[in-house]
Amino acid sequence: MSGPVEVEYTGVRELRGPLVVVEGVSGVGWDEFATIVLDSGERRHGLVLEVDRDLAVVQVLEDTAGMNRTGTRVAFSGSPMRIPVGAGWLGRVCNGRGEPADGGPPVLGGSYEAVGGAPINPVRREPPNEPVLTGVGAVDVLTTLVRGQKLPVFSAAGLPHLELAVQIAAQATCGGEPFAVVFAGMGLTHADTAFVRDGLATRSAARELVLFLNTADDPVIERLLTPRLALTVAEHLAFTEGRHVLVVMTDMTAYSEALREVSAARGEIPARRAYPGYLYSDLASLYERCGRIRGHPGSVTILPVLTMPAGDITHPVPDLTGYITEGQIVLSADVQAAGTYPPVDPLASLSRLMRKGAGAGRTRADHPAVAAQLIAALARSRQVAELADLIGRAALSPTDLRHLDLQDAFRDRFLAQGTDEDRSLDDSLDRAWEVLLTLPRSQLGMLPADLLDTHAPPRYEER
Amino acid sequence: MTAPVDELGPVRAELLRAARAAADATLDRARADAADTLLAARTAAETVLAQARQLGEADGAKEADRERVRAAQEAWETELAVRTEVYVALRAEVRAGVRRALAREGAVARSHLAHVARAALGAEAEVRAAEQSGVTAEVPGRRVDLSADALADGALDRLGARAETLWGPP
Repeated sequence: MSGPVEVEYTGVRELRGPLVVVEGVSGVGWDEFATIVLDSGERRHGLVLEVDRDLAVVQVLEDTAGMNRTGTRVAFSGSPMRIPVGAGWLGRVCNGRGEPADGGPPVLGGSYEAVGGAPINPVRREPPNEPVLTGVGAVDVLTTLVRGQKLPVFSAAGLPHLELAVQIAAQATCGGEPFAVVFAGMGLTHADTAFVRDGLATRSAARELVLFLNTADDPVIERLLTPRLALTVAEHLAFTEGRHVLVVMTDMTAYSEALREVSAARGEIPARRAYPGYLYSDLASLYERCGRIRGHPGSVTILPVLTMPAGDITHPVPDLTGYITEGQIVLSADVQAAGTYPPVDPLASLSRLMRKGAGAGRTRADHPAVAAQLIAALARSRQVAELADLIGRAALSPTDLRHLDLQDAFRDRFLAQGTDEDRSLDDSLDRAWEVLLTLPRSQLGMLPADLLDTHAPPRYEER
Repeated sequence: MTAPVDELGPVRAELLRAARAAADATLDRARADAADTLLAARTAAETVLAQARQLGEADGAKEADRERVRAAQEAWETELAVRTEVYVALRAEVRAGVRRALAREGAVARSHLAHVARAALGAEAEVRAAEQSGVTAEVPGRRVDLSADALADGALDRLGARAETLWGPP
């Protein structure tokens, strides 16, 4: 026999909703992981929410349905939840607690890591660098995702954010370097989980994917674990196994609502819109786990997806997310209404680290200039469209009319893309050029003359 | 008397020659047109055929990809199911092995397990023989399970990734 003897506590004072109040405990700490054995021999798991003298409040991950005050035994592990880590996760599909949902045995690993993660020493952080190409033109050209970056997708109910998240997870690459995707789905419907599994089947078959799927009918505390499990697995794959890892987390609003519910169960004082006051630091404890570490191979890039309730960008979840992350990809109901997929609003979207991942030696030499010029031209097009609403199209100058043409060309030739269309960066940039050349050369002042000479056809000025 | 000269003969001959020439030219043009039309039709047919072939190849490639992914998924699911069977069998074997070991003379004595249990719960702990083998001990509110199955499960959990040698490459 090796290891300390595990003491089980049998004094269950109360079963209340998802909570078990255990009495007579000693040496139990907050957030400790617990194993609960029912009279029937069934094993469940829980986390310590609160400790007061000899009382411990445990939230049961699988819920307390079927549990009895007598005959229930609770054993505390002495540490926060830890999971095995390693390449054994690749190709596996698990529920939000990390238990297999694919008919396989438990995922085993050579070592264990705490799911809470360890903070990265700030002086050992390497700035994000080099792109993660998603195969989605609007993202790759205008809001380039950089390895080690955290770039959220701001969406609203009814918009195809899950389709976009799955498309990016299915298509993303890192220029031939070892790559993996960890997909954490939170609060998904069963139809959504089926969609995610189907959409990522190819990546899963290539053993480049780890799938954590927490459904809407799973207990809420499990939803708090799901992104932490995903990030713990991702960190090991990146910093120990040397892969570039993209972590897609959807939907962070469902996560935040779970946090609010658990906070209420703990009896904490609610803050803005009843979310706990620590929502900011809790979100940061997830988002800040991305990055690159000096002396370690690989990187962790995070793409959180969140839905803005009623499309409100000032809602606490998008608001606080925006403070932590490095830009955002905003999906627009207007673009969606025009029948365009992906419905990215280019003027509201931004990747703050794009300069570190785009340009000569990274993507293509003309990329930064083309992206900047396209954004500038689209901004002008939007102004012109508003002007046309006021004074009528007939009163617009020929140049203004060209800007209206550019808006249409942008939507039809550049933005619109199939959900299974993996567009190369060259193709996307060439399309961006095609859109830009809707305008006369005089309107393309942000493009260097030599680039214009190369890309503008000989009779371009006559148009 | 000389034979009457056909003064219209040259005119007729010239008209005939011109008509024949025109007919030949029309015939040549018609033949050229026919050849052009044929060529255009053949080219168009080849283009349509090439497009159809491309579409067919693309459809076929997509379907083949889907089939390949499906086959790979099915193979992986089968492998995972077999791994589960092997893992469950290993757990059963380990449990049976621990029960046998505890039942054997000279193995870890029940008294030793009772001592371990009392060290954890206190001297007043009530120690009972477990159903299969080993002991369980209890004081009000606390319990220690040192049954054969619990010891076996703990040992298997500590084995971690080493259990993967069951299905991993040797």
